[in-house]
Amino acid sequence: MDLRCYKLLILGGAVRLYFSRTPLAGLISNRVEFATPLNSYKRMQEGVYLLQHGIDPYGGDLVHETPLLLRAMSTIFTSYPEFLPLLYILLDLSTAALLHLMSSNFVQQKLQQQRSELKNYAKDTGELQYTEDDKYDIAELVLIAYLFNPLTVMNCIGLTSTVFSNLILALLLYSLMKRQLLFCLVLLSFETVRSLYPAVLIAPLLLIFARRSICAGVSIFTLFVACCMAMAGANFLVMNSWNFLDGTLGFIFHFRDLQPNIGLFWYFFTEMFEHFRTMFLITFQLNATVLYLVPLAVKLRKEPLLLATVLIALMAVFRAYPSLGDVGFYLSLLPLWRRCWKYMSHGFVVFAFFLITLVMMGALWHLWIYAGSANANFYFGATLAFSTGQIFLITDLLFAHVKHEFCLYNGQKIIINGEEARILLE
Amino acid sequence: MGLLSDPSLSTHNKLVDSLAKHVRKVCYTFYAAGVVWFFCLALPEFNHGTYLSENALSPGLVYPEIRIDANRLTVQLLEELQRERKDHTATTPYAWITAKFNEFGLETHTHNYTLRYPFGGGKEYHGKNVYGILRAPRIGSTEGIVFSAPYRAPSSVHPDISPSVPLLLAFAEFARRKNYWAKDLIFLVTEQEQLGMQAWLEAYHDGDREVDPTKAYLFPGNLPARAGSLQAALNIEVQDLDIDYIDVKIEGLNGKLPNLDMFNLVQRIMAREGISSGYKQTPRKARRSTFSTFEQNLRHIIAMLTTQSSGVPNGNHGLFHRYRIDALTIAAMKRTTHSNIKTSPNSVAIPLLKAIEGIARSLNNLLERFHQSFFFYVIVHNDRYISIGDYMPALVALVACAFIKAYLTWSTLDTESSGAPEINDSDTSDKLPLPYGSVLIFLTAALLIGYLGNVLPLQQYFQEIPMSAAPLTASLLTTLMLIGFVLPFFVVLPPGGLELLHIGLLLIYGCALIVVGLLNFALGFFVAVISVPLVIALNTNAPDTPESSSVGLRALIRVYTLLLNPLVIIYGIVLIMTFYQFPELGLQQLLLRAAIAAMDAVTFALIDSVIYGNWLYFAVCTVFLPIWIICWTLALARRRDPEEDEDDEDPQVKLKTN
Repeated sequence: MDLRCYKLLILGGAVRLYFSRTPLAGLISNRVEFATPLNSYKRMQEGVYLLQHGIDPYGGDLVHETPLLLRAMSTIFTSYPEFLPLLYILLDLSTAALLHLMSSNFVQQKLQQQRSELKNYAKDTGELQYTEDDKYDIAELVLIAYLFNPLTVMNCIGLTSTVFSNLILALLLYSLMKRQLLFCLVLLSFETVRSLYPAVLIAPLLLIFARRSICAGVSIFTLFVACCMAMAGANFLVMNSWNFLDGTLGFIFHFRDLQPNIGLFWYFFTEMFEHFRTMFLITFQLNATVLYLVPLAVKLRKEPLLLATVLIALMAVFRAYPSLGDVGFYLSLLPLWRRCWKYMSHGFVVFAFFLITLVMMGALWHLWIYAGSANANFYFGATLAFSTGQIFLITDLLFAHVKHEFCLYNGQKIIINGEEARILLE
Repeated sequence: MGLLSDPSLSTHNKLVDSLAKHVRKVCYTFYAAGVVWFFCLALPEFNHGTYLSENALSPGLVYPEIRIDANRLTVQLLEELQRERKDHTATTPYAWITAKFNEFGLETHTHNYTLRYPFGGGKEYHGKNVYGILRAPRIGSTEGIVFSAPYRAPSSVHPDISPSVPLLLAFAEFARRKNYWAKDLIFLVTEQEQLGMQAWLEAYHDGDREVDPTKAYLFPGNLPARAGSLQAALNIEVQDLDIDYIDVKIEGLNGKLPNLDMFNLVQRIMAREGISSGYKQTPRKARRSTFSTFEQNLRHIIAMLTTQSSGVPNGNHGLFHRYRIDALTIAAMKRTTHSNIKTSPNSVAIPLLKAIEGIARSLNNLLERFHQSFFFYVIVHNDRYISIGDYMPALVALVACAFIKAYLTWSTLDTESSGAPEINDSDTSDKLPLPYGSVLIFLTAALLIGYLGNVLPLQQYFQEIPMSAAPLTASLLTTLMLIGFVLPFFVVLPPGGLELLHIGLLLIYGCALIVVGLLNFALGFFVAVISVPLVIALNTNAPDTPESSSVGLRALIRVYTLLLNPLVIIYGIVLIMTFYQFPELGLQQLLLRAAIAAMDAVTFALIDSVIYGNWLYFAVCTVFLPIWIICWTLALARRRDPEEDEDDEDPQVKLKTN
């Protein structure tokens, strides 16, 4: 981290601090796009209060945060609530700093790998290879992308607990780069018990640490399960009851709260006949977790970090209660694949998609909820388009990676029979 | 999915490249398609007949029970009121109205409110509304319907509508004797036009809210009694008991409309009573026109959109929409044509009373709020409408131009910047770096200028300047506009900045139009129709490149940009209106009078925005003015240094040889 990064961090902090003092903060913490039943500030407050007064927070249907976090936050929530925005900003800044460190580490490793494989590369692929400068450039881009992305800024000032999720994910990626197995497992199990979906991130973990030895893989997986159980046990110690499992994981899996959000669940589950619910629940949850896991893990076995990025992105699209804070997090990981950008052809379309749909969401929500003239279909249309845009982005990234790999070994200009070559997917 | 899995290795898409060469043609095609689609909407094939979707509304259509004695009462009350009006030339006869409400056995209350006028050193105005509640025997005051009649004192400049109050009272007297009411009925007499209604509604919904006396302008006070959640409202403006026809007014605040079912209901009931009624109804003589159906429909559509686009409600009903209450006004007009056919004085008020009874009984039977039928529609004819799905494509086609052009411009920009080193295969650092930072700062500056227009006129230190409201607001806005006007002469963007700014403009413009169009279709559509051609024509290519436009076209674009300045447009609209209203004025007088009227219009828009929540002023200042500043910058297309132009030119020539 050099001086410039510190300046950026301070600037990012200043921006967050400024906006957290404007009326915007209150507005954001009530917007469904940012605050879902899982991560909203109000519910956290409620949970802390109930816990302190010895009432089971999971008895009702309001609180879905893990007991550990509620307990950890209880002092600051009750005694120093005026410092809460400051705490969230600091956490968010550490997320940014961790991402920065992680990315320079990643580029370092890429450079090493490149040096050993350099003789296999085709001649005209200089611009496809990572350079020494990238160590600073890419890391700085990641930093900027996290610090000044409006989505993450608003997520932070809205005081959603996605700030914690982002921090833990960033820490996980960082320790993944540093090859700290135990630390990774602890973080992953903590986040899994909190929000279920990060369990899929065990795949990049296995790819990095098991190194194709089945034995090691099985033992790591067992260790992970043990960690999860230990984490659940720790939560149990706080509460002295297992109610929290149904309040957090059960709540996510069963999708009990149909409050609209940017995801795909709520609309389908409001429209659905009740006796199909179980089937669709399983289908949707499979889609959000394991459906893409195996094919992606096989395809991206050499790029565990790309696998992690794509899985985090897919999670943000398909999870039961997604929020824009999740989207902001994976967007800031995109600069890591800067050398693939050349092949990303839909960047502008996706950007325009995001812009239009986000703007429309605001207008349509107003028309639906306040003016009462539009209805749920309008809003769902906008969120559906937003999800489509995200899928476009993820697919684009994957294809760009495939093309990048191919060109790296075969050269950028391939002429067959006087025509430009085309890749066929078979 | 070939779209996602493009098998080509290079990022150059031939289709995009060739489209990019014809970007203007593509865009103008879309523009033409949008406008043609809009005109097609007037054809009978493109619109549908209205129908009642909500079955709960039918009871009122059956059998009216109001009898001739109600007519006697109305006439008698009207005579009493006329006597009262002689004593109260500038005020409302509260005592008389309250006494009558009490006499009929209603729960009667008065409501006081205060307006602190934003300009003119904190002058205060006071007003008073009278309302009576008929408690429904069948429910515990959880739902209510409002029947309101605005009262105008004899000194008012508006047409006299005093018969509305006796009509309301007579209906109240009839309603009290019935036991089938399932919703509380509120009979409300407001004064000072929309202000009284706004104050009453605010007091009804947020009466218990603390008002910050430094920031608020309207102090609505609180109401002593309420009647649950209001389901619907009917506003009555009757000029005379002997009516010629009824004009149903529906346009509300910010272009919102009541549910189409409510309009249909009124139309059905009026038809049953044999009253000539309709949307934008005109006297019989004027109605007999020689226009074809198409032309008539088109005039109707445009008339409706014009009323909607200003966002100012054309009756007291419009303010209800803000609180999610469906409401409309039935304005009964005095008989001017066929004045020899006098209805017998013994039954003169009966048709209207029967109609009100029918509407009330239908609304009374509603099980939920209006939700079945459309909220977004354009009325083509009294019994024909266009739904949102049919008219939206017109706007979408216009807005699509902006996004298509943005995409195509971006993709050519891409080839300019990354294509060059590929061909040179020298060093990669030769790329044209896009100055995102400075463009962002420029956009923020433009936005800030617009935002200042929104907050400055209400600042304390400006209000202390001894100037009346209209010139003050207008001069502040003109100053800001001038700053925007000279901005591009002082700030010149670095190379590549103009192109990037152009793309930014197209995206912002597109998004702004979408949002404005969703909230108020009429405004969005009109703005799109006049401004999209300019946005398509804008060209940032350097003057000596082959793709740049000719000098004449360039000058034309600049003139058009100047004409599209929000202030110029406002002045233009006011000028045209003044010309039609006072055709006898000379040119100089006309221009002067229009200028004064335009200044007033701006001030009224500002007052509307702070008191009623009309967002037209906000949208013009904060959205359209910055967009205009950016347009103007692009129309001037000033570049920093001539060498760069040659650099710009190179890749384009290469692009052509590709």
